[in-house]
Amino acid sequence: MTTGASILVVDDEPAILRLVRTNLRAHGYQVETAETGAEAVEKHQRSRPDLVLLDLNLPDIDGAEVIARIRERAATPVIVLSVRDAEREKVAALDAGADDYMTKPFGADELLARVRAALRRTAGPSGVSGVVEVGELRVDLQTREVVVRGEPVHLTPTEYDLLRAFVRSPDRVLTDRMLLQQVWGSEYGSESHYLHVYVARLRKKLERDRQAPSWILTEPGVGYRFVSQPA
Amino acid sequence: MSRLRGLAGYAGALALVLVASALIALVSTDVRVGNVSILYLPAVLVAAVRFGRGPAIFASIGAFVLYDVLFVEPRFHVTVADPREWVALVLLLVTAAVAGQLAADQRVRARRAIRSEREARLLYDVARLIGAADLSAALEDVAERVRRELGFAAVGVELADGQRITSAGPSAQPLLRAVDASRAVAPGRSPSAEKPGGPARSVRVMPPQLGRVRASGPVAIPVVGEDRRLGTLLVLTSAGRSPSRDEEGILAAVAAQIGTAIERERLRRDAADAEVLRRADEAKSALLHAVSHDLRTPLSSIIAGATSLRQQDVAWSDAEREEFLAGIEGEARRLDRLVGDLLSVSRIEAGTLRPAKDWHDVGELVDDVVGRIRARSMGHHISVELPDDLPPAMLDEVEIAQVLTNLIENAVKYAPEGTEIVVRARTAGPELRFDVLDEGPGVPAAAASRIFEPFERLAREGAKPGTGLGLAVAKRFVEAHGGRIWTEARSGGGSSFAFSVPIGG
Repeated sequence: MTTGASILVVDDEPAILRLVRTNLRAHGYQVETAETGAEAVEKHQRSRPDLVLLDLNLPDIDGAEVIARIRERAATPVIVLSVRDAEREKVAALDAGADDYMTKPFGADELLARVRAALRRTAGPSGVSGVVEVGELRVDLQTREVVVRGEPVHLTPTEYDLLRAFVRSPDRVLTDRMLLQQVWGSEYGSESHYLHVYVARLRKKLERDRQAPSWILTEPGVGYRFVSQPA
Repeated sequence: MSRLRGLAGYAGALALVLVASALIALVSTDVRVGNVSILYLPAVLVAAVRFGRGPAIFASIGAFVLYDVLFVEPRFHVTVADPREWVALVLLLVTAAVAGQLAADQRVRARRAIRSEREARLLYDVARLIGAADLSAALEDVAERVRRELGFAAVGVELADGQRITSAGPSAQPLLRAVDASRAVAPGRSPSAEKPGGPARSVRVMPPQLGRVRASGPVAIPVVGEDRRLGTLLVLTSAGRSPSRDEEGILAAVAAQIGTAIERERLRRDAADAEVLRRADEAKSALLHAVSHDLRTPLSSIIAGATSLRQQDVAWSDAEREEFLAGIEGEARRLDRLVGDLLSVSRIEAGTLRPAKDWHDVGELVDDVVGRIRARSMGHHISVELPDDLPPAMLDEVEIAQVLTNLIENAVKYAPEGTEIVVRARTAGPELRFDVLDEGPGVPAAAASRIFEPFERLAREGAKPGTGLGLAVAKRFVEAHGGRIWTEARSGGGSSFAFSVPIGG
């Protein structure tokens, strides 16, 4: 996947910036850097990178605001970088349009995996349709048939809608709010308990080992991630 | 009201004099008494004692006139034939007037004595009541006592800090509503409008004798502390009369006592705060000391590893390089956990970390936590026991997951490899109970509560890797959920860590 995609890295810590840049360049990406939100918005406009890595804690503009300004012009995927215990901040960024998040401090391998996944999503066909196959899970989006390990599984309409929301956005963190609005409708957003109960039921029907789920992973305090390729 | 009482006094005096006249008439038809007019004196004295100075003088004059008209020749005529009778008449008037005066004075003194005794007793009671530990209850008692003693419709205390202490009884409501309405119409009369700052809440006690009491604005007496307004003492009188001057004096004294009590309460709270701060400060120093040790250890490894790798004169083998690098990464991650735990502890202690509760599937949460730990600690067999009918619970998923993680990691740390760790969740009445059972060395009973304090593990033998904050963080998260956490020895060896939180949040 070292296709020379261009990445804009935004962080006000020079040491982090240097390390991330070195790492990404070593893997064949073109890297641009910015140290403030304003600079990030400006550079994004000028050079339209394929991906933005955005630290949420910037000296000038709030991270969610930067995402909003980027979203005004382009659908560039954004991965936000944030510290531990800032779950609400992460949720706000994701709801504002970020594609994924990483908790600082992170390892180089994790960084590269997330970058690859984000770029893969934009490269792939938008709007998944037809048949989705992920390992031993097969979902037919036309006939609404779900087959796990060769066995057809009966899902209730809500369970199926939830699964469809997941498979349509693979490898991406979906906040409670996003899932609620996709499955239950736009007037929902704070009724997370519905969601939690349905995710639990969906897992019971799909996953072989509930302590090692292969598809629907919990991102504690943030939401869920549907994994299409094992990390 | 007092005018009516005054007229009644005069009427009484008149009646007394008439009765005395009748007696004299009765006596003087049969027997000739020398100075029969002396019989008026008891009437005047009774009028003086019973009704006071005015009626006494009125009675004296009445006696003088009646005696003259009824009994002095020529009868039924104001003129006096015998000059000696003049002397008797004037003597009667003077004696009656002086005696009446003295008796009336005595009456005033007696009433004043009774009143000051009542006042003293009331103020003593107020002083005693207001000394109670709970200021709100004390104010309630004081208001109740003052209202009863002085016969007001309602007595209340509005505090400047907006503290609500009690509410009035149901019978008080119509009157108080009427008052509130009148205050809403005329906010200028509201005592809370006099004071800048937030709205004051009021405490009112409690008119049982409602009857046809007319609601008028309450009388407000300011409660003042050393340098500022602390609140207002409000009095709602029956029938819209204003408090008498005496009552105002008592109310002022009560207000002063309330002011003193509020100030004292504030000082007591300040002192308690200072004590809390001092203890927190001590705890922080101890924590800082422990942290500086725990921060240095991984930093030493990291610096040693990195400088070793940069040495020019050694050619490290790939395996050696890998070892150094693994050490650096591991120690750095340990530092990250330590900083995270420290942040959690300090945030909880500062009260800035509130659980973000929502309904969560408990089995899901346990599975998720165990799944994550199992992936990185292969040495132990971790099993999960969950009933099928476990209900969802109102909790902060991140925090409770952290508690469970810390408890299981603690077990992983202390129980020998190859042993079993059991994670259990079940309902226990209105609570959700989690257990983590291990086959480790167990916790000495004496240390059972201490190990939930930060860095307590340092005091134990053979310090294991970890931040020393895991159990402290767990305890604080559980307590923030209104639950409790504890540990006990298992009968067959090993220890059991358990915590419970309310299912409904």
